[in-house]
Amino acid sequence: MRIKPTIFGAFVLLIYFGTVFGFQAAGVWSVSGKVDRSGRAVLPSADDVESIKGWMTLEQVVTAYNIPLAELLVHFGLPADTPPSSPINTLENETFSVDGLRTWLEVRTQSGSSDTSPQVNATPTAVLTPTPTAMSAQAEATPLPTEHVAPDRVVNAKTTFQNLLDWGVPVEVIESIIGGTLPPGGMVVKDYVTGKDLEFAPIKTALQVEVDKTK
Amino acid sequence: MTTQSLPVKPTLVKPRLRGWKALLNHQTFRRLVQLSFAGFILFTVVRHVVIGEGSGIVTASAEAYCPFGGLESLYKYITTGGSFVPHTHLSNLVLLVAVLVTAFLARSAFCGWICPLGFIQDLISNFSALLRKRFPRLRKAMRSLNARASRLAFLDRYLRLLKYGVLLWAVIGAGVYGVMVFRDYDPWSALINIAEFSFTAGLVVLGVTLVASFFVERPWCRYACPLGAASGLLGKFSPMYLKRESDACKVCKVCTTACPMGLQVHTATTIKSADCIGCLECVGACPRPGALEVKFGIPVIGQK
Repeated sequence: MRIKPTIFGAFVLLIYFGTVFGFQAAGVWSVSGKVDRSGRAVLPSADDVESIKGWMTLEQVVTAYNIPLAELLVHFGLPADTPPSSPINTLENETFSVDGLRTWLEVRTQSGSSDTSPQVNATPTAVLTPTPTAMSAQAEATPLPTEHVAPDRVVNAKTTFQNLLDWGVPVEVIESIIGGTLPPGGMVVKDYVTGKDLEFAPIKTALQVEVDKTK
Repeated sequence: MTTQSLPVKPTLVKPRLRGWKALLNHQTFRRLVQLSFAGFILFTVVRHVVIGEGSGIVTASAEAYCPFGGLESLYKYITTGGSFVPHTHLSNLVLLVAVLVTAFLARSAFCGWICPLGFIQDLISNFSALLRKRFPRLRKAMRSLNARASRLAFLDRYLRLLKYGVLLWAVIGAGVYGVMVFRDYDPWSALINIAEFSFTAGLVVLGVTLVASFFVERPWCRYACPLGAASGLLGKFSPMYLKRESDACKVCKVCTTACPMGLQVHTATTIKSADCIGCLECVGACPRPGALEVKFGIPVIGQK
């Protein structure tokens, strides 16, 4: 059967856009992770830290997890005047990352209280610049939760210093491997290492050896 | 002495239309469709850049309209029950389905009628042809270059297989690592994210593609496009095909010259190549009515 070229073109458009519009009419369409299929904004869920995305704001996160913003800012050494409307991926620095925030919230949720840090109700009054000494003091002062044990003892890109401590690696050993004082527990090891312009692979290997010794 | 003249055949050449009537054809229709879709993508890119990520208004990235993102995310979507690799959304999967349905029914017509990257390559090739037409010295130089390059023509058939390798690498890589391993090398991704001013391998591939388009039509589509590879393979089962009627054809090779994918149309009886993008340039260029036509027939057995 012969088909006119113009009819062929119209047929192609009909199939392609017909399929797309058909899915859209059925509600199967989303062009952004920020809205769901019905067009409503996607918000973080307190049940799943993986639902926290980099584009979400501090305000959305603290609201979902019912924690004071000041506590979060102090814990990660963020400036006290950080606007709550800031997307969290724009705040990433040496001490703060989206992965680190997820880990901290997970630990905090599993411990069932907000006592993972002594500075729960502290109100930041000035811009805090974390120093190695301050970080060390904070690490020593912070009671480390012992209930939380990661399911597998494998050092990877998401492992935090808190994970290492939970797995029983001594503080001195960690400090000797990373060549500095222990940063806040919620910090991701890889973020810390890359922030210092160091290679992650050899440090990861050395840490894994120490983790394996504790088994 | 008597001379016996041969019986005069009725004219077998299509009447040449002039003026605005010459524009009323399927090629004008195709260009308008391509232009509209490219304009939509340009609008999406500009809106996303101007409004930005931090705004309260959600603006879609142009990456949300890439069907190949759907193919890269498909494995993760199935195995995890609905999650996507970064930079992809439900729209990518829907567009992938639309491309595959189109391929199943009308071969790789998405590439020839809609794909904006194909359109950009077409524009550059047409600009190159215009320059060659206007400047005889350039035409001569290009002809000389083509003559030299013809020694490498045997490589063409092997290079065309490259896109299937790219397809495998991109899909398997995304499945294994959970990220779009092809994205950093993807010229389309580099183009729509050009406002980020990041120098990636994809930008180099884009530059090479655009420069190569001056000399070879649709180089990316011919040799490296993984979406075209997937679409072409599925198009093998399509009921649509091109038929060359040997009786009406005078083997003038105009069709082969017009084909942007470099297919040898004038030697084939039926054109069912996986590389055919259904642009119908050959049909439009053919001067003889009925010599080259789009046909509908049952795949495999009914396409003769």
